[in-house]
Amino acid sequence: MALLEPGRASQLLMDNGIRPSAIAGVFVYTALLWTLFIQQGISYPFVFLFFGAVIGSAWFGGTLAGLLSVGFSTVVFAYFFVPPVFSMSVEKKSRSYLLAYFLCATVISWMCSSRKLAEVRILRARDELEERVRERTAEIQRSNEEIVESERQLRLLTEAIPQQIWRAAADGTIEYCNQHLLNYTGRTAYQMMGDHFASVVHCDDREEFCEAWANAVSSGIEFEDECRICGADGQYRWFLIRSIPQFSTSGRIVRWYGTHIDIEKRHRAEHALTLAQVELSQQSRTLSMAELAASIAHELNQPITAVVTHAYACRQWLAADPPNLERASTTAEKIVQESTRASAVVAGVRGLFQGTEPAREPADINQIVRSLAQLLRDEAMRRGVIVRTHLASKLPSTLCDSVQIQQVLLNLAMNGMDAMAETNGLRELLIVSESVGFDEILIRVEDCGSGMDAETAAKLFVPFFTTKPHGAGLGLSISRSIIEAHDGRLWVTPRIAGGTVFQFTIPVVS
Amino acid sequence: MNRPNIVAAPTVFVVDDDASICEGICNLLDSVGLRAKTFGSTQEFLATWRQDMPGCLVLDVRLPGVTGVEFQEQLVRSGIHIPIIFMTAHGDIPMVRKVMKAGAIEFLTKPFQREELIHGIGQALESDRLRRTALESEQSVQTCFESLTAREREVMSMVTAGMLNKQVAADLSLSEITVSSTAGV
Repeated sequence: MALLEPGRASQLLMDNGIRPSAIAGVFVYTALLWTLFIQQGISYPFVFLFFGAVIGSAWFGGTLAGLLSVGFSTVVFAYFFVPPVFSMSVEKKSRSYLLAYFLCATVISWMCSSRKLAEVRILRARDELEERVRERTAEIQRSNEEIVESERQLRLLTEAIPQQIWRAAADGTIEYCNQHLLNYTGRTAYQMMGDHFASVVHCDDREEFCEAWANAVSSGIEFEDECRICGADGQYRWFLIRSIPQFSTSGRIVRWYGTHIDIEKRHRAEHALTLAQVELSQQSRTLSMAELAASIAHELNQPITAVVTHAYACRQWLAADPPNLERASTTAEKIVQESTRASAVVAGVRGLFQGTEPAREPADINQIVRSLAQLLRDEAMRRGVIVRTHLASKLPSTLCDSVQIQQVLLNLAMNGMDAMAETNGLRELLIVSESVGFDEILIRVEDCGSGMDAETAAKLFVPFFTTKPHGAGLGLSISRSIIEAHDGRLWVTPRIAGGTVFQFTIPVVS
Repeated sequence: MNRPNIVAAPTVFVVDDDASICEGICNLLDSVGLRAKTFGSTQEFLATWRQDMPGCLVLDVRLPGVTGVEFQEQLVRSGIHIPIIFMTAHGDIPMVRKVMKAGAIEFLTKPFQREELIHGIGQALESDRLRRTALESEQSVQTCFESLTAREREVMSMVTAGMLNKQVAADLSLSEITVSSTAGV
């Protein structure tokens, strides 16, 4: 056995020798004094206070102190109270009494000390438990703080990203919008919550947006849509809205995260491009028309010039004195020849146009109108014109060259918007499609401009007639030729409430 | 207009690739007593035309190969001063300005009026006649000068320089009478 350190040895001595002995001694001594005092009035030996001393020693001093006090008290008891008194010897008939005391004291001491021990253990266990609880609490608090901090960081991040971000619940209702989104829309978070989000989407895009969103929410497919969103200043800009679902471990959608990307510039560029392309195709058509016209004019001018020159000569031959009838006659013959040549040119031109059979394919007129309305959006917005469509459902399909029909519609719509340039009140362009009888579809383009007088209306379809400073005067005449080539009719009527209605018919596929 | 010329009657040269136009113009000019010659191209015209032929040119702008406007430039560069009347089915202002600046007499748009053509041709022939007359008188002076002897030319140059007969006589060591007889004054 290793040698004990002096400190530890004295501690051991203190714990196992001095302290229990002192406690036992004090308790037994006190009990002795009180018993001596009480014994004066009592005839039988009074042992109860010694039991108390044993209990006290065992309780406060532990097992060792209890046993020591049992020993001390047995000795003191045998000396002072067991006859013969004041002697360590015990008479025979009292031995069992003393033994009974000793045993009782030992049992009490043991019970008491073990009870004490149990209590100490319980206390210690409680303390340990409390300590544990404290630690756990601290831990939970710490992780709570961490969560709060990380959420704060995340929020900072979402606010720092120069993008509009939102979060929606699994049912598609908005739960959170970042500051950028709120700033852009000029609404409070409360105003954006729940189902109110659709209110910032442009009314023309809303239906499509809501449908697509509901579809995404029910199917759990990533959402993507382009639509116009109203800014705080009341102006709409185009946004690409994307949203991806977050799934739980069981595969259920927990929430949706959405971002908005401003695509106004791209959208404008795209639209400008499409418009430019349509315009270009129209211009190239007009240009080739102009070239064709110049060529036809030259072809016709040559024989006409010859006819005119010969006619002058013929008059001169007849006016001579005497009239040169022979030359006049041959000249007249020349005039006939040249006139025939001129009419051959005209016939050739007609043949040129008849030779080209337009492309005919089954087409949905409503679809053509819708795509045109889409095309017109920006231009209309720029001019402060509202484009509305009123399309009959379940229209039969038609056989037509959809590009040509779209050009006719574009032409009529542009004319309508031009007519409303000076209008101060409501500027609305209405495009209506409806079924007429069983074999025709009627399309109306209505504007609320100032209308036109009867004289203008009469000349409207004459080539090169225009009321516009830079117009070629070919749009409506070309439009009419296109519609007539489709076996339809194009005509104009005044609108009852002011403005003009252009309407045309297209036969349906029989 | 149709006054007789000393050398030859003036001719109207018509250049147009369309034969019927040529024929029509030719017929019209014939009916008013003007002589006309027609050509299908500028090359044909150049092959026939000679400096001593008086007249004017009626030129179409749109011609195969060299255009009327380019042909005018060629003529100006090679010193041929025939008056030109242009005709075209569609001319623009820059083109008209250009050819008129280069000395064209008239610019006609097809189909043209009889008077426009006849008047233009009259103007052109008159301008050609005046130019030729001026040229002829210049040439006759030149012929006279060339017929002089060396002494006569010497005297002439001094007299035309403003010297008196006696000064000339002193300078050339001749008598004053000889000088005056030589000079013819």
